[in-house]
Amino acid sequence: MKTYDAIIIGAGHNGLVSAAYLAKAGKQVLVLESRAIPGGTLVTEEFDGFMADMVQSGNLCPDIIRNLKLARFGLKPKPVSEIPAFISLLPDSDILVLESDPVKAAESIKRFSPKDAARWPDFLTFMEKATKFLESAYDTLMPRLPKVSLSEGYSLAELALDLRLAGRKNMLNIIRVIPMTAVEFLEEWFESEQLKAAVASVGIHGVTLGVMSAGTTFNLIHNWLNRGGLAHQYLGRAGQVTDALVAAAEAYGAEMRLSAEVTSIKIEDNQAAGVVLKDGEEISAQTVLSSADPKRTFLTLVGPMELSPTFVWHTQSIKMRGSVAKLHLGLKSLPDGMAADTTYTIAPALNYLERAYDAAKYGQISEKPYLEVTTSENVISIHFQYAPYKLKQGAWNDKRDTLEKLAVDTLAVHFPELQSSIVKSKLLTPADLETTYSLTEGDLNHGQIMLDQFMFMRPIPGWSNHKTPIDGLYLCGSGVHAGGGISGASGRNAAKVVSKEI
Amino acid sequence: MTVNHYDAIVIGGGHNGLVAAAYLARAGKKVVVLERREIVGGAAVTEEIIPGFKFTEFSYVVSLLRPEIIRELELPKHGLKILPLPSTFAPMDNGDYLGLWDDPDLTRRELYRHSPLDAEAYDAYSRAMGRAAKAIKPLISLIPPDPSSLHPRDLMGLLKLGQYAAGLSEKELYMIAKLVTQSAGDMLEEWFETDVLLGTKAASGVVGTLLGPRSAGTAYVLLHHYMGEIDGAFRAWGFAKGGTGGVSGAIANAALALGAEIRVGSSVAQVIVKKGRAAGVALDNGDELQSKVVFSAADPKRTFLQFVDPKYFPDEFIQSIKNFRTLGSSGKLNLALSELPDFTALPGEGPLHRGAISISPSLDYIERAYDEAKYGQFSRRPFIDMIIPSAIDPDMAPPGQHVASCFIQYAPYDLEGGWDDAKKEAFAETVISTLEIYAPNIRRTIVGKQVITPVDIERIAGITGGNIFHGEMLLNQIFFLRPVAGWADFRTPLRGYYLAASGAHPGGGVMGAAGKLSVQEALKDGLL
Amino acid sequence: MIQLLHTPFHERTELLCQPKNWRRWAGYLVAGSYEMSLDREYWAIRNTAALIDVSPLMKYLITGVDAALLLNRVVTRDIDKLQVGQVYYTGWCDEDGKMIDDGTLSRLDETTYRLTSAEPSLRWLTMNAVGLELEITEITDSMAALSLQGPNSSSVLNRCCDNPVDEIKYFRLMHNELDGIPISISRTGYTGDLGYEIWIDAKDALPVWDALIAAGHDFGILPVGILAMDMARVEAGLFMIESDYTSSDHAWIKAQQSSPFELGLGWTVNLDKPGYFVGRPALAREQREGSTWKLMGLEVEWDGLEALFKDVGLPPQILSMAIRASLPVRSGKKQIGYVSTATWSPLLKKYIALAHLQKPYFEPGTNLRMEVTVQHHRQYAPARVVTLPFYEPEWKKR
Repeated sequence: MKTYDAIIIGAGHNGLVSAAYLAKAGKQVLVLESRAIPGGTLVTEEFDGFMADMVQSGNLCPDIIRNLKLARFGLKPKPVSEIPAFISLLPDSDILVLESDPVKAAESIKRFSPKDAARWPDFLTFMEKATKFLESAYDTLMPRLPKVSLSEGYSLAELALDLRLAGRKNMLNIIRVIPMTAVEFLEEWFESEQLKAAVASVGIHGVTLGVMSAGTTFNLIHNWLNRGGLAHQYLGRAGQVTDALVAAAEAYGAEMRLSAEVTSIKIEDNQAAGVVLKDGEEISAQTVLSSADPKRTFLTLVGPMELSPTFVWHTQSIKMRGSVAKLHLGLKSLPDGMAADTTYTIAPALNYLERAYDAAKYGQISEKPYLEVTTSENVISIHFQYAPYKLKQGAWNDKRDTLEKLAVDTLAVHFPELQSSIVKSKLLTPADLETTYSLTEGDLNHGQIMLDQFMFMRPIPGWSNHKTPIDGLYLCGSGVHAGGGISGASGRNAAKVVSKEI
Repeated sequence: MTVNHYDAIVIGGGHNGLVAAAYLARAGKKVVVLERREIVGGAAVTEEIIPGFKFTEFSYVVSLLRPEIIRELELPKHGLKILPLPSTFAPMDNGDYLGLWDDPDLTRRELYRHSPLDAEAYDAYSRAMGRAAKAIKPLISLIPPDPSSLHPRDLMGLLKLGQYAAGLSEKELYMIAKLVTQSAGDMLEEWFETDVLLGTKAASGVVGTLLGPRSAGTAYVLLHHYMGEIDGAFRAWGFAKGGTGGVSGAIANAALALGAEIRVGSSVAQVIVKKGRAAGVALDNGDELQSKVVFSAADPKRTFLQFVDPKYFPDEFIQSIKNFRTLGSSGKLNLALSELPDFTALPGEGPLHRGAISISPSLDYIERAYDEAKYGQFSRRPFIDMIIPSAIDPDMAPPGQHVASCFIQYAPYDLEGGWDDAKKEAFAETVISTLEIYAPNIRRTIVGKQVITPVDIERIAGITGGNIFHGEMLLNQIFFLRPVAGWADFRTPLRGYYLAASGAHPGGGVMGAAGKLSVQEALKDGLL
Repeated sequence: MIQLLHTPFHERTELLCQPKNWRRWAGYLVAGSYEMSLDREYWAIRNTAALIDVSPLMKYLITGVDAALLLNRVVTRDIDKLQVGQVYYTGWCDEDGKMIDDGTLSRLDETTYRLTSAEPSLRWLTMNAVGLELEITEITDSMAALSLQGPNSSSVLNRCCDNPVDEIKYFRLMHNELDGIPISISRTGYTGDLGYEIWIDAKDALPVWDALIAAGHDFGILPVGILAMDMARVEAGLFMIESDYTSSDHAWIKAQQSSPFELGLGWTVNLDKPGYFVGRPALAREQREGSTWKLMGLEVEWDGLEALFKDVGLPPQILSMAIRASLPVRSGKKQIGYVSTATWSPLLKKYIALAHLQKPYFEPGTNLRMEVTVQHHRQYAPARVVTLPFYEPEWKKR
C-alpha cells in the first residue's frame, strides 16, 4: 500500500495551496475531497445550463501565484484597466460609481460631497497602508504567547517594524482603527451618507456583524486586502483558479481523490495516524492537514473524546453563525442598465445596513437586506445578508421562496426588467452551504471574522500556529490565522509549518 | 483680597479633581480647586432636591474607588463609610425572579432553580473573572507607554508592560485578550444559558456605553466593573454613606485638611498660556489666577477644545479629541417614595431592597433597548438598575419613607429631535411603567421625582455629551489610546497642563485613579 | 426562602443537636456534634456504632451506553475494571493533572454509575460528555445518605435489614430492604473503621433513621456529628478537600494545586488504561519525574511537646478536636512543609497530623519539627514522619 507523508482533508483552495506547497517541497501528499469536484467554496458549477461561481470568488495572494507558478497552469491576472467598478445602487435610480481609478471615482463622489471627493485619494492611501500591514501580519506565523521562540519573536519584531515603518502616526492610527466600527471609522473620513454606506458594506460583507459593530473596520481592511480594493478583482472564474491550483498541485506530484469523504481522523496515543473514509477505507499517514473548519475538524473528525474538556469548550465557543445566502439567477440577458463583470452593492445608508443586521441578531431574515451582486454575461450572483443560520422560527427549507422573492424584489427596484428576464435560479441557504460545502453553520469564513477571533486568537487563543493538541494534525483552512476569504494564505502558512516538521 | 498665586490649579471639583488637589497638597504644594457649581462633587454629588429626600443625583454606587486612595488620604477620618450593597435581584417576565445573594451557597441554590449547569458555571465564571481582574489590575496603576515612541520613559514603560505580560500565564494572557475583544453577550453565552442571568450580567457590560451587549468590547466593560470584586475580601460594590456626595465630601475634607483651597462658584473661562506653558486660569468673572501648572478634571473635550486656544495643540490632536466618543447613553430617574416598592415576584420588605434591583430579563431585552438608542430613541423598555439608598442608609430619607435611584439605559444624548420637557416626562413615564410591571405599587408611592438625561448631566455636571465615564470605555478609547494615542500619560501637548479625570487612563467610575496618577506624573516633570 | 437547606434528617437531628453548633456543608446545615463534648461521639466510631448524616455529599447518577466512556475520561482509575456492585474511591484532575475533587464511584448496573463529590461537579461532567450518549442526573437533594461506622455497624444493619450485610466485602455494595424500604448499602466510610454508607430516597429518610436508631440501641448506636468524624478520618489518614488540598478549580496560583501523586493517591492513577483521560499527559510526566511534594503522617513526639509546655509551667494542652489550620513544619530552621489538619487521637493517645512535605523530607522516619502554640508563643515540637494511616483495625477490610 502506498504511504504518504501527509494527507490533506479537503480540496478547497487552502487545501490545494497546502498540497501544492508540500508537493513542491518533495513531500508525498494525498488530497481527499468529499465532493465530486475540487475547489470547496471556490467552484464554478452548473445549474440548469447556467454557470455560476457558486459560493465565493477571489483572489489568491500574489506570492502564492508566483511561488506555485500558477501562470504556467493557466492563471493570469487581469490588467489593471479591466478591474471592474464598484457601484452602489441608490434610491431614485441614483448610483455612486466607485471605479478603481481614483480620479474617476472622485468624480462620481463629487456629486455627493466635493469634500469627500477630495479626501478619497488619501483614504485609498490609508487603506493601502492598512492592507499592507495586514498582509504582513498574514504572512507572519502567530506564535504561542507568552512562550515566543527566538525565530517567532524575530518575525513578530519584523511585523512590528513593518507597522512602525508605516510611520509613527500611521502605526498608532492603524492600531486605533482596527477595533472601530465601520461607521465611526468612515465618519472620521467622509460626510456623504451614500459613500460611507457603500464602503461600510464591505466591512460587514461575509460576517454577522453590523456597520455599528466594533471590529467591522478590521473586516473592511481584511476584505479590502482579499479583494484587492473595494470591488472584487477576480483572477478568473472560481473554477479556473481551482483548476490552476489542481493542475499545479498535481504537476508537483500531489495526488487527489474526489468523492472521498473523510469521516474521522485516526489518532493513536495523541498522534495523528491517518484518516478513515466514509466507505470504511483507512489511509495511514503521520501527518494530517485539515482544511475543514475547526469545529468540524475537532468535534466531528477528531471527536471530543480525544481532546481536553477546556479545548472542547473553546472549540464549541468558536463563533460560526453564518448569515449569508447566495442566489444565482440565470437570465435571458442582463436587464437594461446592468453591466457584466461588475460589482453592485445595495447599501444605500448606514442605518439601512444596521437595520438589516438587527434582524439577524434575533434570528430573522432581513426584510431590507444588504445585497452584493456580481454579474457575468447571463448570470447574476447575489450575496444576501442577513439570512441567519439559526432561525428563531421555522426551518430554512420553508423560507426559500421568501428569501428568493426578497432578493429579487430588492434588486428589481433598480432593474425593473429583472423579473421578466429570469430563466432559472439557484438558491443556497446557510443550511445548504453547510450540507453541500461542509461549512459549519454556513459560515463562509470557517469562523466569524471578529476581533476575538483574529490573529493569535484564530481559531482559539494559543492555537493559531496551525498546530493542534493532536501531534501531527494541522489546520490549514480559513478558520485559522490569515484565513477568511479566498487568499490561500492559511494554506500557504500551514504548509510552511508542516514542511519544517516533517 | 485673595492671593492668586498657586503652585497648581485644579479645574473642576469632581472626585478626581479633589483627589488630585489632595495629593498635590499632600506633596506640599499650594493648590486651589475651582468648581463651577456651588457644591463640590461633580457627578458624585448628593442633593436634597425634594425636602427630606437626598438624591444621589448621578453616580450612585462605589466599587472602584482605589483602596490606596482611601488609606493615603485617610478618607474614613473625613467621614467616608462604604456600606455593603450585597445582592442583585432581577425580576422576570414570567413572575419569577433571579436573586444573586450575598453568599455563594445561597446564590448557587437560587441559580439551581433556573439551571443546575448555570449554578455551577456561575462559580467558575466568578473565579475566572476574578483571575482576569487580578491579572489585569496592575495595568490600572501603570502609566500607559506610547508604543510608537522611542522616548526613554515610554521604552521603560513598554519594558514594564512586557515584564508584566511575561509574568502572566498563557491562560491569563489569552483570557485578557479575549476579554478586551469580545462582546459581553458572546462571552456570557459561553458560560450560561439562563436568560435573566445573561441579561443581568450583560447589563453591566454596557453601562455608560452606547453599545449593546452584542457589541465587541463590552466584555471589557464587564471586567472593568469586576475590578471592584477582586478586592473580594475587602468588599465589592458598595454604597457610600450619604450617597456618592459622601465620597466627594470626604475627599474635599481631606484635601482641605491637607491645606488645599477649594473655591466654589468659580467657573473657568480659559487657561492662561505664557511662553508655551499653562500658567494659570481666567475665570468667567474676570479674575485671574496664576500657577505653575494646571490640572483639568473636566472631560477631554472641555479640557482641550474649550479651556485652551486650539492653536496650542497640533491639528491632529484636536481632531482626535473631536473624534473621542463622549456621547452619553444613560439617564437617571431619582424617586422620592412614600414606601418601598413591592415586587410581585418576591413580595414584602426583604434583603432585595438592600441590594441592586436590575430590570434585565434577557440579553435580547437589553439588545433591543440598545437598538432603539442606535437610531436616536430612548428605550421603550430600558435596562434599569435601581438601588434604594434609604434601605441601606436610613438618613437618606425621612423616617419610613424612601429614595430610589434608577440608572437607566438607553437614553441617548443625541435624541432624535432633541430632549425637551415633554420628552423627559415621556422618558420618566417609560421607566415608571416598566417598573410597574414588576412592582405594581410603585406609581402610587411616588411623592417626587427628578429626571436626568445626558443633556442634564452635561448641563449640571458639566460633562460634554453627558457620558458618565467622560468618554466611552471602548477598545479604541482605553489604555494607551485614552484619550488620544500618544497622550495617555496625563500630559498634554501644552506643557504644564494635565488631564486628571475619567477621560484619561484608566477611565470612568468613582475610582480616583486619574486624579492620583496625574499628580504622580506631574511631580516628575519638574515644573512644580 | 433565602436560607441554607436542611437535610432529610433534619427533623430528627434538630432535636438531638444539643450545642446547636450547626456547620455548613455544601449549602446544607449539619450538626457539628450532638453532645456538648466530642468524647462519646468519637468513641462510638471506634467502639460501637456511629450514625452520621452525610446527605450533603454531592451525588450524581450517570447512566447510558457511554457512561463508562465518560467516567474513564474524567477519573484517574480504570473504569473498565469496576464491576457491578463494586465501589471505587477515586480522584479526578484538570488538564494539568491537578486534583479537582475526589469521591466514590459505584457501579449500580451495567450502564449506571453513582458518583459522589465534595464540590458541585455537574458542569465538569457535562463538559466532558460532549457527543456521548448518556444522562447525568444530580441526585444530591433527592437522595439522603447516612454513614454508619464502627465495629458494631454490621450487627446493627443485620438486625434491621431484610438481608444480612456480612457478605458485602470492603468497597462493594448491595441492595437491601428495611421495613419494606429499598436501600442501597455500600461498605465504605470516612473513618477508617468497619462501616457502611446507606443510600436512601429522601422521602424514606426518617423511617430509616428511626429503624437504625432502634436497631442500634443494644449495640450502643449514637448520632455523631462531623467534628468527631473529622478526628477519626485523620487517624485513618483520609484527607478532605478545601482543608487538606485546594481544588485546582479554586486555586488562585499554581502553588495551591496538588496532584494525586502528591496526595498519596498514586495508586488510583491508572496510566495503563487505554486512551486519553483528563490530565493524562501531565500525570504520566509526573510519574516519570517524581513528585516534589507528598502528603504524609506526622506524629508529634510527646516528650518534646511536654518539655515545651513544661518550660512555661504548664502541662501539655492540645485541643480535643481536629484543627483545620495551616501549621508550618520545619527541618532545622527551614520550613519544608505544612500541616493541613492536626488532631489529638484519643485512641492512640498521640498528637497526629496530615502534613504536606517537600522532597526529600517526606521519607518515613524523618525527624522534623511542627509548630505548636505554647502560652501564646509559637514553638516547634519534634515530630516524626510516618506512613498513613495512623490507625487501621484489622476488621476494617475483613
